Amino acid sequence: MPARSYLTGLAFLSPALFVLIGFFFLPVVLTAVFAFTNMSTSTGISGGSYVITGNLLGSLKAQGVAPTVVDALSQASFVVDEQSIAKAQAAGTDAQFLAEIEQQLSGKAFSEERAFERELKSLRYRPRSIRDLKLAVDQFELSVLNTRFASAAEAREAVSELVPSAPADVVDEIVDASYTGWRWTTSNFTRLVSSSDTWRLVGNTIFYVAVTLSFTVFVGLFLAVTTFYLPAGAASAFSMLWLLPRITPVVLYTVMWKWFTWEGGFVYTAAQALGLPAFNYMKGSVPTAWTIVIMVNGFIGAAFAMILFSGALKAIPVQQLWASEADGASRWQQIRFIILPHLRWPILFVVSYQTLSLLSSYQEIWLTTNGGPGRTTTVWALESFNTALNSYTGNLQYGLGAAMALILVIVGVALSILYLRLFRFDELLSRPKIEF
Amino acid sequence: MQIVLKDFTKTFDGNTVIDRMNLTVRDGEMLALLGPSGCGKSTTLFAICGIHRVNGGQILFGERDVSNMPSQQRNVGVVFQNYALYPHMSVFDNIAFPLKVRNDSKADIARDVRTIAELTHIAELLGRRPGQLSGGQQQRVALARALVRKPDVLLLDEPLANLDAKLRLEMRSEIRRIQLETGITAILVTHDQVEAMSMCDRIAIMKGGQILQIDAPKDMYHNPRTSFVAGFLGNPPISFLDGRTMDGRFLDEGTGVTLPLPAGVTVANGTGLTVGIRPEHFGHAGDVPVRGKVVFAETQGRENLYDVALPNGALLRSVQPARDDVRPGDEVSWQLNSAAALFFTEDGRRL
Ligand SMILES: Nc1ncnc2c1ncn2[C@@H]1O[C@H](COP(=O)(O)OP(=O)(O)OP(=O)(O)O)[C@@H](O)[C@H]1O
Ligand SMILES: [Mg+2]
Repeated sequence: MPARSYLTGLAFLSPALFVLIGFFFLPVVLTAVFAFTNMSTSTGISGGSYVITGNLLGSLKAQGVAPTVVDALSQASFVVDEQSIAKAQAAGTDAQFLAEIEQQLSGKAFSEERAFERELKSLRYRPRSIRDLKLAVDQFELSVLNTRFASAAEAREAVSELVPSAPADVVDEIVDASYTGWRWTTSNFTRLVSSSDTWRLVGNTIFYVAVTLSFTVFVGLFLAVTTFYLPAGAASAFSMLWLLPRITPVVLYTVMWKWFTWEGGFVYTAAQALGLPAFNYMKGSVPTAWTIVIMVNGFIGAAFAMILFSGALKAIPVQQLWASEADGASRWQQIRFIILPHLRWPILFVVSYQTLSLLSSYQEIWLTTNGGPGRTTTVWALESFNTALNSYTGNLQYGLGAAMALILVIVGVALSILYLRLFRFDELLSRPKIEF
Repeated sequence: MQIVLKDFTKTFDGNTVIDRMNLTVRDGEMLALLGPSGCGKSTTLFAICGIHRVNGGQILFGERDVSNMPSQQRNVGVVFQNYALYPHMSVFDNIAFPLKVRNDSKADIARDVRTIAELTHIAELLGRRPGQLSGGQQQRVALARALVRKPDVLLLDEPLANLDAKLRLEMRSEIRRIQLETGITAILVTHDQVEAMSMCDRIAIMKGGQILQIDAPKDMYHNPRTSFVAGFLGNPPISFLDGRTMDGRFLDEGTGVTLPLPAGVTVANGTGLTVGIRPEHFGHAGDVPVRGKVVFAETQGRENLYDVALPNGALLRSVQPARDDVRPGDEVSWQLNSAAALFFTEDGRRL
């Protein structure tokens, strides 16, 4: 018997499991993978190569790599030896010319291109055209600057050839730093922890979620309870009205808020007429920006909460309300002792659901204040979106963004567990009503 | 506190359920409200405790007109027909609720709840939730909740319906004792006539939103004002024979039964009448012999119950001390006590 009911349970669960794996575990795993890389637009998401750039040399110098090594790397030199002659031969340089070079200049090195070129021009079998000459000169150039090496070994060889005096560990350091592809790293997290910006973001996010959530629950409760005590016709018209924020498309909804609060908008005009300060409330000051962000999101949640709460209210047996009145409970006591306990489960649901969706949603903020003025209303989700997918500078830092998103996921899961504990969710779900 | 309903009218969505009902419940009295299902008993209680607003007329508590006073201010204890306990609270919290909402101290609440719980035999259930109680236990919790704050008026909507016979007897006397001790005015809605007769000072019989008769149980039984009341009270019920007057006597032509009319009553010859005969007045002692055939016999231990079919098919019921010499199918000729017969006109009024 138990085995059968376990199987039944599993069968009922399987669609949910598929969805869970496809839409939760997979993205989370991918996010976790990205979070431990330094992927960005410049590294790309496939492998990279090894390039020593001027910028890189600058930062190597700053990191304490010996200036002699750095300077040597930044300079090109022209060396005539077996290797460079072989290279030139492969490139199709005239054989007679090449033999002459080998004979006359073998073992010599020039630090300036001009000097080497002058040397070559003095040879008998030199090419007629300047272009061919330059091509020949290029074959003898020994430089690592801006050269793309496919593997670390090639790059190492090139560096040590150019600066034979450099110790091996310095060479390794240089080659490692020259890698242009992505690599595994925990630097995203150390960077987040050490940055003071992070803590401001955390503060903003906590403030935003806490205040919006309270707004949602209180306004939702208020609307549900008032419509509950209203006559039926008025109640349904009233709740329809409050549903609008929920059913209006986000873009339209936020545009309406803009019309409402920008210069020349409704509130602006009204405030002007009343002699109150009139400005672009959405972007003009921090308190008004926050107020608007909270209301924009709060009303969406409140509409959602109202529906849930109203349904739960209707399910309260009317006799209990009668009994409480006869027992002498005032309206407020009736709400507090009879109605709110019956709403425990929907309140839990709204609180946990909204916490998670507020934590992870940024589109309303993005479409209204866009985190401004300055970065005062920027929250964690918006920042990770901007970092990973919407950078002004054009360099999208996928790795850092993913790290931020991963932190969000961890916080979300932790909060869900906390909520389940707190509201004794298991008690609500405990026994099936019908025993198998 | 005396309760007066003056021309009380109640309408649900244009459908008048109670039309100008008048009722007085005396101070300290316990009144039973008896009537068929759907006659408006619960509606009347709801109006008295303020859950329903009256659509017409007045409700007076003593001198006070409470018609428009909210429930909370009326201080009425109610036991609802379906208990209406609060499922999310423990039994203790359920009973304590009326005290808690008027801000009694914790110690007072604990003491009062314990006292009333002992009285209603639920002291050991205080920690449970209503969902974990049997129907009878829930009923007693509801009773305790109604009584705990010593209300001015106690309204009981079938408070004992779900109890077993022994507990019911016990609770009956408990409720009555509490009511007498506190001098509280109470209205008891019940379907159980024995309960009504044994617990209450007076009984009001309702039908279709009207009070037909209101009297002490004994008077109601022996002096019903209408044939409906006569038929409603009594178990096994009264039996009726149809006939007409003939030379100052009642004659049932179908069966040949003739009975003298009560003294001082004069009715024109040939007037249609109905006579009601209670089962205890037919069978073992009387002055008018009636012949018939026993069609049904049932023994109830101390007494036997018989249905006797008269030649025209009319039935007379009889209750007699237990005997085993009569079986269904037997022809019998039993005596009928004509002095106890109740005469009604064709429209149901008592002669
Ligand atoms: N809320 C309501 N809306 C419409 N009609 C109602 C409502 N409540 C009661 N009624 C009607 O009023 C009449 C009286 O109902 P009430 O509940 O008072 O009956 P009752 O005498 O208590 O019956 P019972 O013995 O079955 O409990 C019934 O016909 C019922 O259908
Ligand atoms: Mg009823």
